[in-house]
Amino acid sequence: MNVPLNGIKGRYCLIFNHIMQTNKLKKTIRKFKCFAAFALLIMITHAVYAQQNTSVKGTVVDEKGATLPGVSVMMVDQTTKKQESTVTDLKGIFVFNNVKIGNRYDFSFNYVGYEKKTSPAFLINPGTNNSILIRMETSSSGLNDVVVVGYGSQRKTKITGAISQVKSEELNKYAGSNFAQQLAGKAAGVVINDASAQPGTDPQIVIRGIGTLTAGVSPLVVVDGFPLSEGSSLNTVNPQDIETIDILKDPASAAIYGSRAANGVILITTKNGRSDKNTVSFDFYTGAQVRADKVDLVDGYQFAQLNTEARDWGYVSRNPTSRSISDDYATRVSKGANKRDLRLNYIQPYLNNQPGLTNTDWLDEIFRTAPISSYNVAVSGGNDKSKYYFSGNYFDQDGIVIETGLKRYSMSFKFDSKLSKSFDVGLSINPSYNRQKFFQNDASRSSDAIGAALIMYPFFPARNNDGSLAISQQITANTPEDGALGENPVAIMEKTKYNKNLFRTFGNAYLNFKPITGLTFKSLLGGDYSNSFIDFFTPSDVGEYRTAAPKPARTSETNGSVINYLWENTLTFEKTFGKHDINVLAGTTFQKESGNNTLVSGTGIPDNNIDNIAGASSFSVVPQRYVWTQLSYLTRLQYAYANKYLFSAAIRRDGSSRFGQDAKWGNFPSVTGGWIVSREDFFPKVNWIDLLKFRATYGKAGNNQIGNYSSYALANPLSYVSGSTLLPGFAAVNPANSTLSWETKTSYNFGMDLGLFKVLNLSANYYSMVTSDLLLQVPVPSQSGYDSALQNVGRASNKGLELELSGTNIKLGPLSWNFGANIASNKNKVLELGPGQNQIVTGTNSAFRTKVGGPIAELYGYNVTGVYKNQSEIDNSPHVAGALLGDYIVQDVNGDGKITPDDRMGFGTYAPKITYGFNSSLAYKSFELSFSINGIWGRKIYDNGLVNMESGEGFSMADTYYYENRYHPVNNPNGFLAQPNTNYSANRLNTNASNIFFQKADYIRLRNVQLTYNLSSKLLSKLKVSRASVYVTGNNLLTVTNFRGFNPDATSDNVLTSGYSNSNYPVARSFVAGFNLTF
Amino acid sequence: MKPSSSLPLKNHNIPMKKIINKILVTGGLFCLLGITSCTKELNQQPITSKSLTNFLTTETEVEEYVNAVYGTLQLNGLYGLYLPAIGEIPSDNTFDEVPANDSGMYGQLDQFTTVASNGMLSDLWKNSYQGIQRANTVLNRIDGIPYASAATKQARKGEMHFVRALLYFNMVRVFGDVPLVIKETTNPNEFFGQGRTNKDLVYAQIISDLTNAIQELPASTTTSGKAVKTAAQSLIGKVYLTLGKFAESKAVLADVVASGRHQLLAEPADIFALTNKNNNEIIFAVQFASGINGNSEGSSAYQQFSPSGTISGAKGHNLPTKSFYQLYSASDKRKTAYVGLTSAGTPFSTKLKASATTPVDGGSNFVVLRYADVLLMLAEDENELGNTETAKTYLNLVRRRAGLADATQQSQVDVRDAITLERRLELIGEGHRWFDLLRTGTAVSVMNAWFASQNITTRITNRDLLQPIPQDQIDTDPAIKQNP
Repeated sequence: MNVPLNGIKGRYCLIFNHIMQTNKLKKTIRKFKCFAAFALLIMITHAVYAQQNTSVKGTVVDEKGATLPGVSVMMVDQTTKKQESTVTDLKGIFVFNNVKIGNRYDFSFNYVGYEKKTSPAFLINPGTNNSILIRMETSSSGLNDVVVVGYGSQRKTKITGAISQVKSEELNKYAGSNFAQQLAGKAAGVVINDASAQPGTDPQIVIRGIGTLTAGVSPLVVVDGFPLSEGSSLNTVNPQDIETIDILKDPASAAIYGSRAANGVILITTKNGRSDKNTVSFDFYTGAQVRADKVDLVDGYQFAQLNTEARDWGYVSRNPTSRSISDDYATRVSKGANKRDLRLNYIQPYLNNQPGLTNTDWLDEIFRTAPISSYNVAVSGGNDKSKYYFSGNYFDQDGIVIETGLKRYSMSFKFDSKLSKSFDVGLSINPSYNRQKFFQNDASRSSDAIGAALIMYPFFPARNNDGSLAISQQITANTPEDGALGENPVAIMEKTKYNKNLFRTFGNAYLNFKPITGLTFKSLLGGDYSNSFIDFFTPSDVGEYRTAAPKPARTSETNGSVINYLWENTLTFEKTFGKHDINVLAGTTFQKESGNNTLVSGTGIPDNNIDNIAGASSFSVVPQRYVWTQLSYLTRLQYAYANKYLFSAAIRRDGSSRFGQDAKWGNFPSVTGGWIVSREDFFPKVNWIDLLKFRATYGKAGNNQIGNYSSYALANPLSYVSGSTLLPGFAAVNPANSTLSWETKTSYNFGMDLGLFKVLNLSANYYSMVTSDLLLQVPVPSQSGYDSALQNVGRASNKGLELELSGTNIKLGPLSWNFGANIASNKNKVLELGPGQNQIVTGTNSAFRTKVGGPIAELYGYNVTGVYKNQSEIDNSPHVAGALLGDYIVQDVNGDGKITPDDRMGFGTYAPKITYGFNSSLAYKSFELSFSINGIWGRKIYDNGLVNMESGEGFSMADTYYYENRYHPVNNPNGFLAQPNTNYSANRLNTNASNIFFQKADYIRLRNVQLTYNLSSKLLSKLKVSRASVYVTGNNLLTVTNFRGFNPDATSDNVLTSGYSNSNYPVARSFVAGFNLTF
Repeated sequence: MKPSSSLPLKNHNIPMKKIINKILVTGGLFCLLGITSCTKELNQQPITSKSLTNFLTTETEVEEYVNAVYGTLQLNGLYGLYLPAIGEIPSDNTFDEVPANDSGMYGQLDQFTTVASNGMLSDLWKNSYQGIQRANTVLNRIDGIPYASAATKQARKGEMHFVRALLYFNMVRVFGDVPLVIKETTNPNEFFGQGRTNKDLVYAQIISDLTNAIQELPASTTTSGKAVKTAAQSLIGKVYLTLGKFAESKAVLADVVASGRHQLLAEPADIFALTNKNNNEIIFAVQFASGINGNSEGSSAYQQFSPSGTISGAKGHNLPTKSFYQLYSASDKRKTAYVGLTSAGTPFSTKLKASATTPVDGGSNFVVLRYADVLLMLAEDENELGNTETAKTYLNLVRRRAGLADATQQSQVDVRDAITLERRLELIGEGHRWFDLLRTGTAVSVMNAWFASQNITTRITNRDLLQPIPQDQIDTDPAIKQNP
């Protein structure tokens, strides 16, 4: 094809021809017109410059010849050594004006994901046709990616620590409100426990196992250099604003964050404007979420049978010689039956299997199909001086439990500018407003929808025939025989108001000053302000557990605000001379947080007209205020020789207000080394090995996540009364500890990276970490006046192996395949506890043990070997006094002929032995199919909800598993679960903590499947759209597990009772469809 | 947007030296800021709590701590809820209507199936030692703190001695040997390995504390609810009685009578009226009030001890048994003054009154010591010392007030039984009966006879007289050994 090309000659024609070959004509002409206009402009501009100067321009394309915008171009004048830099524009074109004719210039080109390119000693000819064409090649498996390392960034090849990186494309395949949910399965050794999946609740993030016992387990989250304080909501960060997440897993890498880094550090880099290009991007998705758990309750007829069996056997077993199942109600009363020995007064029709009776599935009543949607618009752009990124997001997720949900309105604004050659400034602000409708997911039978539903009998409706809420029907009906006096959870949820509004804005401003080449002084001021308001009201016309309506109305509100600021000053010096490459960092940071929180509770509410504290006549106020501060000094040296030998050393010195007068300061050193073997001369020159690197790190990091004033003996209010006069009192609630300080995690990490065939990258890490001086809430003998004391005692270790394998741009014919696979093991062990202390037993039914030599929070209880089916089995074996037929046979573990608490044993832990993930993305023409799987192996959970459902106490609802497997001497003689019995013996109470209820919670979950269709570029160019795609996504479509509870990620927040579950809000299955449009 | 054409940069002709100086100055400034103001910032004092380090230095602050010692008595493990049940539910006086409720903890005590993880016992243990430790703290520090009035200071010491003795007395009766701690805790780790102290030593400490308290306490107080001299005398009288030291008991209880500070109210119904709290018959009562301090000064005992279905949250824990109710003669005023009946005929104690606010905020005080108890103890002392007639004079004071005729029993044994019965009728619901059975050595025989009469299969032995040591204490420190 031949088109006249005025004014374009020489090298540029080559480019043009190339474009002609690979692109369609129309597009080219459009490009050409643009270019011609541009060239004309340049020519005109040139006229005003001195004769000896001209311009040089060029185009950067990728392997396929498509132009690459946003490529950094650096030009160095060989004569004057003067540097200049720019980036390519939307069409991949860059221009340098003011180049000297006859001089030679070195050009270098950098772009994330591509190999660095150079064009040395380019001679500038007179005239205006100095043109360069650069073809960039994708880097082998992203080895040249930039990884954020804390106070700086490094190329992936130079990394010596254990750092996992997850990019935004991977994250946003999961439709959720926070990035933590999206991280599940993406990085080896990073476990996400969506323990209560209520919208707006943060998941637990565990990096390389838990190494602490009673201090916090959360990693430090740093957003664009600003460390968020622990416990601050992750839901206020819009996941669609995130560019990359870098996870510093080994304490040596994290040590630069000192006393807060022991649980690992998550560095979030938000999106920024990228080039001379202005982009407007719309993202929208919407979909539905449904229940995906496996809890299956019995129906009314089955429950009637179970409940009656329990009451009958309860009645008879108290005195089998004089009582009989056939005793009627009056006879039972006359024989001294207690209320639960009587049959429910309304039960007979169900026992008779009379059809058409009320048969409510309460889980169907409290769960629903819930919509989720997100609207996101992002505008970004910039020029060679300034970049900006602006986004707005509206996120709206209803919970799968009725009357729950989160609405988030958030914005992000980021601006960076070069003021002059030596000054850069930048600013980012991220305001958000969250409105959450929620309930306390604490299994309360009065206020937790799930907890309340599990004691609701199917015999009662949620609504009356006229559609009104059925109030207190079960309470009234069950009172004579003390059945479960539960209130209708639908009524509880609909009538109770529990809202949380959170306004938050955080961000930072920085100034970079570069007085000389390589030296940067950076001053960063960060701030985080949040204001929360929680509004609670429960009216009188709905009852609660054991309380029929009307009850006294109650209300409360909580007003809180937190202000946190950070001032950080760092000096960085970078220099390459010869084969030496150094980077030195030194700095100070100071951070201070002040918070206050006022809880006002109101009672004495005469009517329900005002649904907030204004309606109350009597108030109590609980004020809380705190301040914490941290002052730190840090320095780091990174050194590379010949790009083969890598070394770094860092130390941070931290002072914290949280610690005792005598122990405020701590030092956190680290050293790391790396050796890129594949760059050695002796290394065989094979073209299929791109990289072989060995790494080792050693370092210490701290954990300071305890209360703000834990070193003091705090005296809290404990008042008394005389007549009606209050006598204000205060008493110490904990002993003082002036030497209280951080716990320290010391770690070794050995790693290896292998790059193969330019597409595969294998990374392996072995780590060994010991946490010493544990911040341990040591249970102490109560005669001290205290139950526990926070001390720095004890040690625990975590060891593990991690493998990550990724493939990038693997060509399978017309298909292009990317994948990532990871697997990690972790084993923890308690090495030492408090002085003379061998174990800590804690939790509901004392079901958790943390023992020296064993793992943290082992499930602890009796070993059940069967069910007593005849009296001689009881009489002829060790048993607890009062054991009844149909109770559990308990193993006499220590063989002393008695069943005592010493016969309890360990049954595994919540902390998984193995975690793994697999992500794959397959592109074919305009289609892309991706999925990800994550899995957990070796986990056990103690689910109190299941204890209630499967204990046979004849009170709570039961599940079908119990119904089918319960022992009954006649109907089910092979049943292996204890017989229903309201006469709940010591044996049954003891065995509430036993292998019967310690459940395996391993799972493999299809976390997401996404099919994307990218609209053809032909169509798009007509519409002036650069990218348009539509997609459908399914999240949590399939979870393979034997766990019968609501949520196999369920756990309590307390490390010592990890794996304790109680009606935890289940993770939903969701289906969404969305589109993306970029201009 | 078109790429903006670049403006020529201003030439920075600042000499390098100047730049370096600038950096050093700025850097130095930051460091300086860091070292001075920021280092100071690392010292943060609690804002909404007090710190014991600089607390307890003035009279006002000691008074606050003393109030907290009394406040401890309101906790659930003590007189707020559990202790009254622990002292009565194992006996033939009261029972648990639905034994399975609240993890069966009341039911276990009622039916002698108590497990070591019983929550009531665990809380009794913990809360008792919290109170003991708080009293120790005051006693340890008060001497060094100036008081405007020496008499007030002395009274506070007496109060602390009294409360500590009361708590140990309960513990030793429930558990037998218990660890004895009478100093302020500085390092809680010191208690690992301490083990349980022989109960004789604990009793010696109780007597010593009460002897001090009798010396230190004033005859009366303007702040109702605080311990007075007669409270210490009555308590030590009960301790002596428990130890079988009838003469010592009689002597000190006679002092209570002689003090003239207390009398029997004319009508039993008036003793526990909410409008008549801390009347002359009351010697020491743990104070509760409804609607005070955000409803935090009430007790949930009324709610928990009401028959289930009567008020919201009622669980029928610790209800008088029907056989007990039948012991009242028709003319006994106490039959209606102390006990009510539901429409279904279930008896309940009316000594705890309904709350004016929410059911968990009951305003009835819990009476620990009252004059009728003192008179009956005196009767018992006199009878055991062989003074049967004198014993009957005390007994008859109580009977007459109840609208009953004088006792007609003659023999020591018969009078003893009459006193025992009178104690049951007079003191129902006040948490005494089980301890009375224990101290008179009749628990096993009385309970087994009662079980047989009720067609209940349970039988007890001496092993059942002490409650198990809370399992959490043993789990924490194996030096604490379980009762056999």
